[in-house]
Amino acid sequence: MIVVDSLSKAFKRKGRRVRGESRHVQAIEKVSFTAADGKITGLLGSNGAGKSTTLRILATLMKADSGNASIDGYDIGADALQARQSIGFMPHNAGIYPRLTARENVRYYANICGVPPQQAEKRIAQLVEMLDMAGFIDRRAEGFSQGQKTKVGLARALVHSPQTLILDEPTNGLDVMATRGLREIIRQVADDGHCVLFSSHIMQEVEALCDQISIISNGRIAISGSHDSILKNTKQTNLEDAFVAAVNPQSISTHTSEVPQ
Amino acid sequence: MKSILSVFKKEVVDNIRDRQTMFYALLFGPLLLPIMVAGSLVAGFKQMSIDFDEITELPVINVEEAPNLVSFLRQNNIDAVAAPDNFRDRLRDGDINVALEISSDYGAKLETGQPAPLILYANDADKESSKAARKIASLLNVHERTLDSLRMQARGLDPTVFDSIALEQVDVSTEGAGAQILSSMLPFLLIMSMVMGGFYLAIDTTAGERERHSLEPLLSLPINRSSVVLGKYLATLAFVTLSGSLTAIALILLFHYFPSEALSSVIRMDAKTIGKAFLLALPLTILITSLLIAVSAFTRSTKEAQTYLGILMVIPMAPFFLLQFMTIKSANLIMAMPMMSQYKLLEKVAKGESPETLHILLSVSGTLIFAVLLLMLAFWLYRQDRILA
Ligand SMILES: Nc1ncnc2c1ncn2[C@@H]1O[C@H](COP(=O)(O)OP(=O)(O)OP(=O)(O)O)[C@@H](O)[C@H]1O
Ligand SMILES: [Mg+2]
Repeated sequence: MIVVDSLSKAFKRKGRRVRGESRHVQAIEKVSFTAADGKITGLLGSNGAGKSTTLRILATLMKADSGNASIDGYDIGADALQARQSIGFMPHNAGIYPRLTARENVRYYANICGVPPQQAEKRIAQLVEMLDMAGFIDRRAEGFSQGQKTKVGLARALVHSPQTLILDEPTNGLDVMATRGLREIIRQVADDGHCVLFSSHIMQEVEALCDQISIISNGRIAISGSHDSILKNTKQTNLEDAFVAAVNPQSISTHTSEVPQ
Repeated sequence: MKSILSVFKKEVVDNIRDRQTMFYALLFGPLLLPIMVAGSLVAGFKQMSIDFDEITELPVINVEEAPNLVSFLRQNNIDAVAAPDNFRDRLRDGDINVALEISSDYGAKLETGQPAPLILYANDADKESSKAARKIASLLNVHERTLDSLRMQARGLDPTVFDSIALEQVDVSTEGAGAQILSSMLPFLLIMSMVMGGFYLAIDTTAGERERHSLEPLLSLPINRSSVVLGKYLATLAFVTLSGSLTAIALILLFHYFPSEALSSVIRMDAKTIGKAFLLALPLTILITSLLIAVSAFTRSTKEAQTYLGILMVIPMAPFFLLQFMTIKSANLIMAMPMMSQYKLLEKVAKGESPETLHILLSVSGTLIFAVLLLMLAFWLYRQDRILA
C-alpha cells in the first residue's frame, strides 16, 4: 500500500538560463495518489512528466522538497530503511552487473536484504520458474538482451518477497511476447495480494493492465481513478481521448468545465 | 554488518573478473614498477657517483715532461696517454671528457721551487666531462699537498706550520647525494603500487556503478548508504593492501636474487628493511583507499574519475621530487603529514637508521585523521541527491 501526499521536487537548472527563466525545474508539484494492495496502479504520463522522479522519491533514493508518503505504513522520510525493506524497485535501466551471472546478480540482492542463504536459493529457483529464466540464469550478464536484463532486474526486485513492487517503465524495449509475459507476471504478483505501482507512457498497456490509473502531466496529477471513472469524468470513450482531455482541458472544448481538478 | 560483508564480497568477486583491475593490482605495482624505477635509478646512480677504482685514460699534453705525476696517476688507476692534437675539438664534441696539459717548463720550475703550471681542460656544458674534471682535480690536489710538504721539509720547515686550516670533509648523511634518490625509491614504489592497486576498483565500484545504472536499485535496498560505502571501501582496501604487500615481496625477491653492489653500498635492501618499511607505510593503505573512494564518489563518470585521480597522482609523487631538490627537516609538523612523513620514515629505514617513536606516532595518527576525514566526505557525498545523477 502506497499513500502519496502532495510531494514536490525541484531540480537546479544547469547550464545557461534564458532571461526570465527560473532557477529551478519543478519536476513534480503536489503529487498525491494511493496504490492499494492486490491492485495494479499505473502512473501514466508523457516524457518528462515526472514519473521517474516520483518513483525515485518513493524508493527513498532522493528526498522530496515537501509533502510526504508512506509505504505499508512506513514513512519514506522517517522510516526509510523499513520502507525500503517493503519495496522491490526496478528503475528505468535494469542496471545489472555484467561480470556476474544472472544468479549471482539476484543472490547479491538477497544477501543484502538479509534473506537466509537456503531460503534465497529456494526463492531464486521459484523466480527462475516464474520468469522463465532457466536458459540464462548461470550465464554472465554481459551481452544479455533487453528482455533478459529486465527479467534479471525483476527477479532481483522480487527476491526478498517485498509487499510492494515499484517498476519504472518495465516494458521498455520488450517485444510483444515479452511484454505479454511481463504483464502476466505483474498480474500474478498483484493477485497474490501485493501492491504494484508502475509507470508508463503507453496508453494500451495501462488500459490493459491497470486497476487504478493516475495521469501525471507537467509534474502534476491531472486525474486519478479506475479506468471507467476516468472515462466517465472526462466524458470520453477511450483512454487516449481522456488523457488528452485531462492533460489539456482546452483542447476538447465541449467537456472542459467538468474536468475535475 | 552482514550487508557490508555482502557488498565487500560481491565487489571483490566482480573485480577479480575484471582484467584491468587485476593487471594493476597484481602486475603493474608489484612487478612492472619496480623493474622500471629500480632499473633506471640504479643506472642513474652509477652516472652520478665517482668511481675511483675504475681505470680510465687521461689524455695528457707533454706527457714525458712529468714522469712522477704520471706514476702518481697510475697508482690512482689513471692511465696518462698522449693527447691528440685536436683535443680541444674532441673535448667539445664529447669524444674525450678531460685533457691535462703539462707545460714545457714544468720540470724546471718544479726543481727551482717555483709553482709548476698545469692546465686542466674540461667541457662544463657536459655532465660527464665536469665529473671527470672534478675527479682529476681532486687527485691533483692530493699530489700537490705531497709536493708542498716535500719542499718545506727540504728547507727545514715543519709542513704543518702552513696548514692554517685543517679542513676535513665529513659526510654525515651516511652516503652521498645519489643515495637521496635511492632511499626515496622504496617509499615511492610502495605508495605508487598501493594507489594503482585500488585505482580501478575504486572507480569501478563507485563511478562505474553509477554509469552502469546499477546504483539506483542498489540504494533502494534495505541497507544504509554508509554500509554500501563501507563495503566498497573494504574491497578497495583489500586490493590496495594486496598490491602493496606483493610489491614488498617482489622487492625482497628482486634484491635477493639480483643484489646490486651500487645500491647496497649506500642503502639497505634486505628483507628486514623492506618489511619494516612496509609496516611503516601500512597506515597509508587506509588513507589511499579513502582518497580513491571519495574522489570517485565525487565525479560523475568513470572517465572523469580517471582524470581527477590521474591529477591526484601528484600527491604520492610530490614528496619524491620535493625531497630531491630541498632538504626537508624531520620536524614534528612534517612528520604528521601523510605521504611526506612516510617518505621520511622509510628513507631512514632504508639508510639503516631507526626512526624516532614520536615520529612514527605522529605519522600514523596524521594519516589516520586524514583517512577518516576523507571517508566522512565519501559518506556525505553518498547521502546527496547528486550521487544518482
Ligand atoms: N537529476 C535531475 N536534474 C535535473 N533535472 C531533472 C533531474 N531528474 C529529472 N529532471 C527533470 O525533471 C522533469 C521530470 O523528469 P522525469 O525523469 O521524472 O520524467 P519522466 O516522466 O520519467 O520522463 P520519461 O518518460 O522520459 O522517463 C524533467 O523535466 C527532467 O528534465
Ligand atoms: Mg522516466
